[in-house]
Amino acid sequence: MTALATRAKPATSPPPAKIMRRRRREGPWFGWVLVAPAAGALLLITAFPLVYNAMNSVRHVDLLDGSSRPFVGTENYRRLFSEHTFVPALEHTLGFTAVSVTLEVAVGLVLALLLNMPFRGRGLLRASLLIPWAVPTAVAATLWRNMFDRSNGFVDYLLGALHLPGAHVTWLANTWSSWVMVLVTDAWQSTPLVAILLLAGLQSVPAEVYEAGRIDGASRWQSFRYLTWPLLRPALMVAVVFRALSALLIFDVIYVVTGGGPGNSTETLSFVNYHAFLVDNNFGYGGAISISMLITTVMVALLLRRVLAARC
Amino acid sequence: MTNSRNPLPRRYVAGALGLVVLLGGCSSSATGGKQESLSSDQTVVIAVQGGTTGGLGSEGKSTADEIASFEKAHPNVHVKVQALASTTDQAYQQVQRALVAGSATPDVIDADNTWVATFAKAGWVKQLDGLGPDTARFFPGQVAGASYQDKLYGLPWYINVEGLYYRTDLVPTPPKSPAEVVAAAKAALEADPKLKEGLAFEGSKYEGVVCAFIAFLGGFGGTLDLGHLDTPQVRQTLQYMHDLIYVDKVAPQAVTGWTEDNVGQAFTSGQAPFATNWPYVFQAAEAKDSSVAGKTGWIPFPSATGHPTAPLGGSVMLLNAKSSHQAAAWALMQWMTDPGRQTERALSAGDPPSVRAAYTAKLYAAAPYYKQEEAVFAVTTSRPITPRYPQVTAALQLMLSQVLSDQTSVESAVSTAASTVKGLGADS
Repeated sequence: MTALATRAKPATSPPPAKIMRRRRREGPWFGWVLVAPAAGALLLITAFPLVYNAMNSVRHVDLLDGSSRPFVGTENYRRLFSEHTFVPALEHTLGFTAVSVTLEVAVGLVLALLLNMPFRGRGLLRASLLIPWAVPTAVAATLWRNMFDRSNGFVDYLLGALHLPGAHVTWLANTWSSWVMVLVTDAWQSTPLVAILLLAGLQSVPAEVYEAGRIDGASRWQSFRYLTWPLLRPALMVAVVFRALSALLIFDVIYVVTGGGPGNSTETLSFVNYHAFLVDNNFGYGGAISISMLITTVMVALLLRRVLAARC
Repeated sequence: MTNSRNPLPRRYVAGALGLVVLLGGCSSSATGGKQESLSSDQTVVIAVQGGTTGGLGSEGKSTADEIASFEKAHPNVHVKVQALASTTDQAYQQVQRALVAGSATPDVIDADNTWVATFAKAGWVKQLDGLGPDTARFFPGQVAGASYQDKLYGLPWYINVEGLYYRTDLVPTPPKSPAEVVAAAKAALEADPKLKEGLAFEGSKYEGVVCAFIAFLGGFGGTLDLGHLDTPQVRQTLQYMHDLIYVDKVAPQAVTGWTEDNVGQAFTSGQAPFATNWPYVFQAAEAKDSSVAGKTGWIPFPSATGHPTAPLGGSVMLLNAKSSHQAAAWALMQWMTDPGRQTERALSAGDPPSVRAAYTAKLYAAAPYYKQEEAVFAVTTSRPITPRYPQVTAALQLMLSQVLSDQTSVESAVSTAASTVKGLGADS
C-alpha cells in the first residue's frame, strides 16, 4: 500500500517535463517490468504446461516408478495408435463435436431469431435464457443424469405418458442412448450462449437493410436468406469456432453422465487423457495425448477458419 | 549507483525474493520433517470414505462418536475428518492426488485394501512394523490385506466382504450353485408379483463390479489370476453375468448403472429376493423399520465346485509417511481398533470388526446375524495385490462393462483385458 502511495504521488504532482525526463531515465525495460506479472502468469499457466507436457511425452514418466525418467523417443506417440483407447476416443470426440455444434448452432439460431422479434417480456426471456449457461456443468450433468433415470427420472415418465419411443429405456446401458444423454446435457447448457452470440450478430444488422429489402419486394424467406444470413456470418463464425473448440475438449459431461461407458463407447480424448494422468499416473503417455489433442484442436480451428472465411 | 537513483529495481528484487521465500515455505512445509509429540497441541486429519454424514449411512455417525471419545481422552489433539467421495474409485483419486503432491495431510487414510500395495511401493505411507503393532489381534486375512511384501503398512479397521443376500421367506433353501440362484430367482419372481427383479448386483463401471465378478467367479471354481486371465472359468462367469440380464432376465438392464447403494436399496425395500452386497446391508435389512427384517440370509455366492469365494474389501487405516503428527495419528489408529469400540461400531454401523476379541457374546446377543457372517468371512479372497491395481481394475471394469452392456462378445472382451493386464506387468 505504501509503495503504491509513494509511487502515485510523483506521477500527479510534477510538471509534464519532469515525467518525460523520468521516463527516459527509466529506459525501455520499465514497460517490460509493468507487463511482467501478467506475462509471467500467462507463461506459467499456458507455456509452462505445454513445454512440460511436450518434454514428458518423449520420456517414460510414471509416478509410481520413482524418479528415473528415461528418454523413450516416439514410444508414447506410437502407443496412441497401438492401444484400444485413443483412436476410438478421437473418433468419438470428432463425431460429438460435429453433431453437437451443428445442433447447438441450429437451435441457437432459431432462438436468436425469435428473441430478435419484438414482443412483450422479451428482455426477461433474453436474460432467463442464460440461466442454463450459468449453472456449473457438473451440476447440470448430475441433474440430467437423474432426469434420465429410468425409475425416478421425468424423461422416462414423460416419454411413457406420451407413448413415444425411448420410454422404459435404461439410457446408460446403450451406446446411442448414452450419446443422446450427453448431447442433450451439452446442448441444454451451451445453446443459450450460441443464441446470445447470434442475437448480438442479428442486432448489428441495420434496420435500413431490411427496409430496402421490403421496398424491393423481398419475402420473409428471401430477406433471411439474402440479408440476414450473409450479414450474420461473422457472428456465426465466432459461435461455431468457439463451440467447436470447447466441444473438442469435452470432459465434465462425459465424466458425470456416462463415465465413458458403456464399455468405452463414450470416451473422448479428454476422458482418456484424464485416465492416463490421474488413474495410470503415466505423465509420459498423458503428455503424448495432450500434445495430440493440441494438434487436433489447432487443425480443426484452421479448417473451420478456412471453410467459414471462404464462404463469407 | 543506478540503484540509488532509482529505487524500483530494488523493490522488484525484494518482491521476487519474497515470492521465492513464500514458494520455498510452501514446499518445505509439505515435507513434514518435524514430528509433534503426542502431548503437544495439534490437529490430526483423518480421510474417511463417505465422511461423517453421507456415504454408508450410520458408519459416519460411528466414526464421529469414536473421534469424540478420542478427543476427550487426548484433549490436546483435535481430529478433523476429511470426507472422501462415496465411491471407492473417486476416493482413491482424491487421496492419491494429495500423496503425489507430497502433502502432509491427511495424516490417517481410510483405505480400501487394494490401495495398500500401490501406496507402499510409492513410499507414500509409513511402514508400521517399527511401531510395534500387535498383529495377532486381527484376522490373518485382514493383516495380509494390510501388508505389502510381508511388511505391515496399515491397521485393519473393519472387514468388508461381498456375499449374497437372500430372502429366507421366498427362498426356503439357500442355492448351492450359480444355476440354482437363477432358478430360485425365477421361482421367486413368479411367486411374488411385488418383486421387481430376481437378482440385484452392482454392474456400473466402477470397482464394485469387479468385486461382484470375483464373487461370481468363485461360483464357477475360478480365482482371479492376473497372469492367466483368459480362463474357461472367467469366460463362464462373464457369460453368466451377461445372461442374468439378457437371457434369464432375472436382473434388469438397469444394473449396468447400479452401485452397491442401489443394490442395497433394491434388497431392503423388498423388491429383490437376491442381492450381492457387503455386510453393512445386513444391519439395515434387520433394522426394525425394514420390510425384510427377520427374512434376511447371507451366504457366500454359491459355488458349483464347492469352493465359493467372497471378495475382500476390507478397510485399512494407513499412516501418511509425510505426516508430522505420526504419534497422534498412530494413537488414533489404535483407538479405532480397540475391541470395545469395534463391537460398538459393529452394532451401530454394521461394520464387522477386524479384531477377533470384538466378537463377543454381547455382539451375538444384540445382532445374531454376525454368526451368519462368519461363514462368509471364512472364504474371503483378496483382490489381486499389486501396485498396478488401479490399471488392472480399469481393464477389468472395461471388460465387464462391455459384456454387461452387450456390446462385445465375452471372448473378445476377455482377450483384450488379458493382453492389457499382461502389458502392465502386474502379475510379476
